Amino acid sequence: MHFNRRSVLGGIAASSAALAAPTVMAQGAPRVVVVGGGAGGATAARYIAKDSAGAVNVTLIEPTRTYYTCFFSNLYIGGFREMESLGHDYGALAAEYGINVVHDWAVGVDRDAKTVELASGASVPYDRLILSPGIDFKDGAVPGWDVTAQNVMPHAYKGGSQTELLKAQILAMPEGGTFAMVAPPNPYRCPPGPYERVSMVAHALTEVNPTAKILIVDPKANFSKQALFEEGWQRHYGGMIERIGPDFGGENVSVNPAEMTVDIDGQVESVDVCNVIPAQRAGRIVHEAGLTDGDWAPVNAADMSSKSDPEIHILGDAAAQGDMPKSGYAANSQAKVCANAVLGALTDSRVFPARFSNTCWSLIAPEDGVKVGASYEATEEKIASSGGFISETGEDDATRAQTYQESVGWYAAITADMFG
Amino acid sequence: MIQRALFPASAALALAGAAHAANDLTHPEVAQIMAIEADSDYGAYLASECTACHAPNPEGGIPQIHMLPESYIVGALVDYRIGEREHQVMEQIAKRLGEEEIAALAKYFSEAE
Ligand SMILES: Cc1cc2nc3c(=O)[nH]c(=O)nc-3n(C[C@H](O)[C@H](O)[C@H](O)COP(=O)(O)OP(=O)(O)OC[C@H]3O[C@@H](n4cnc5c(N)ncnc54)[C@H](O)[C@@H]3O)c2cc1C
Ligand code: HEC
Repeated sequence: MHFNRRSVLGGIAASSAALAAPTVMAQGAPRVVVVGGGAGGATAARYIAKDSAGAVNVTLIEPTRTYYTCFFSNLYIGGFREMESLGHDYGALAAEYGINVVHDWAVGVDRDAKTVELASGASVPYDRLILSPGIDFKDGAVPGWDVTAQNVMPHAYKGGSQTELLKAQILAMPEGGTFAMVAPPNPYRCPPGPYERVSMVAHALTEVNPTAKILIVDPKANFSKQALFEEGWQRHYGGMIERIGPDFGGENVSVNPAEMTVDIDGQVESVDVCNVIPAQRAGRIVHEAGLTDGDWAPVNAADMSSKSDPEIHILGDAAAQGDMPKSGYAANSQAKVCANAVLGALTDSRVFPARFSNTCWSLIAPEDGVKVGASYEATEEKIASSGGFISETGEDDATRAQTYQESVGWYAAITADMFG
Repeated sequence: MIQRALFPASAALALAGAAHAANDLTHPEVAQIMAIEADSDYGAYLASECTACHAPNPEGGIPQIHMLPESYIVGALVDYRIGEREHQVMEQIAKRLGEEEIAALAKYFSEAE
């Protein structure tokens, strides 16, 4: 039992309520606190607020005023989207859904007191806590690179300014220069993301700097939608893209930002742009809260609750959940299952069996879109795939154009589903 | 609200093809599903899977399903489920919907704005 100021205040409120009519006690609506206003967190906050119609008090803690999606950020690099079209604010969540949007960082969780500590010093009590902080980069993952080098060698793997920086660097490359990407090891957010990025960089360079080269150094033997990407690269950008996999040193890489060099298994290459996407782990707050096993936070598939605390749920990239890829679509899907379960636990609303789905689209070249997707169910052990689909190589142009158009519709729908 | 034509544009296209179930109330499976009493809470929950793609005001290559006639939605989902209408995403989604689920979803979207 903690006798801090908050529980004393709570005690006063409870005893005065006890003297009044029973309905007054209902005023103490259950409190859900959501940390992180991205694909998982914004969706969960919106669904809980919407479906409880005021019966649950929802607080969303998110430091940024505008969320720039990583999804479609590669299309910005390729010249298919404006940066402003990727930015979304929290105005509707506050004004139309009654969510208490707090622009601050969560810096700690007191699981005994059931409070979240904010950077400003405030403490926010919860009955249920939902954490969807996304990823952080692992220290020392790429020797020579750290956060102080990210303006020289951007990751562009969190949305916004990093993506703008990378694009500016690409457009400023000398004629015939080299763009290098240090690709991440599994697991990481958006498995096809680095390869869609390479496609979009190739498209941009084809237009402004056609003799430029792209070099991917990759610790993975295989990657998502590989046959589709390789076919497309050959078809649209023949000869521009070279990939060095683990067999040829792709897993033994260091960088030197001062010299703008990449050391691949002892061979030093001078490059003009270097996009370093380091190995990843769950956002820091999940580690601070003591909910991780290694890099990620294990969850129960049925309701996305933490395996070490039934009153805390973890969504999206930060969760170790089983078969789903770390994607915005997956985080949004998990958030709805979680919202239904949390509402059921806090109110008398009905809880339905968990069901998840995912589709990841990638753009290879103008009007050349591909997709991969699956359905998932909750088992005792994990979120388990129950069947899926993938675009085929050699598809006709009309199918590819249609697939791209679907992704455009999906972007509009999912961002509306997140932010209202 | 904007007045809709009775049949969505894509329905006309679909019906121009082979014997589609869409909007065909005599198709035995469609009639069977239309007879089920839809569970509205379940429909609202299931619909959250769809709204990742189907916004109330759709853009790009995603068709509108909000405010479509109930029997049309049932017919389209049955067509995807039996492979009568081909589409990788919608077949994957429809394959795991039972009759109960289709009934609940069709009712939900036919009334959702
Ligand atoms: C280049 C690229 C392309 C991608 N393309 C796609 C795609 O096409 N389709 C797709 O589905 N996915 C795509 N993704 C993946 C997608 O962006 C992520 O999987 C998704 O954003 C994960 O959602 P999340 O809620 O876990 O984290 P995020 O969306 O990253 O949200 C986390 C939020 O938490 C906040 N936060 C972090 N720590 C704290 C804290 N301590 N206190 C308060 N707030 C905090 C952050 O500010 C952030 O807003 C792509 C990713 C990249 C990098
Ligand atoms: C991943 C994106 C996505 C999701 C999720 C999705 N759909 Fe679709 N849906 C589409 C696309 C794309 C089409 C057009 C397919 C075609 O051309 O036949 C479509 C078509 C449809 C149609 C036919 C519309 C018409 O005008 O003929 C219906 C009905 C439908 N979907 C219902 C649903 C329901 C119900 C769900 C949820 C259970 C759902 N969809 C989930 C992408 C999606």
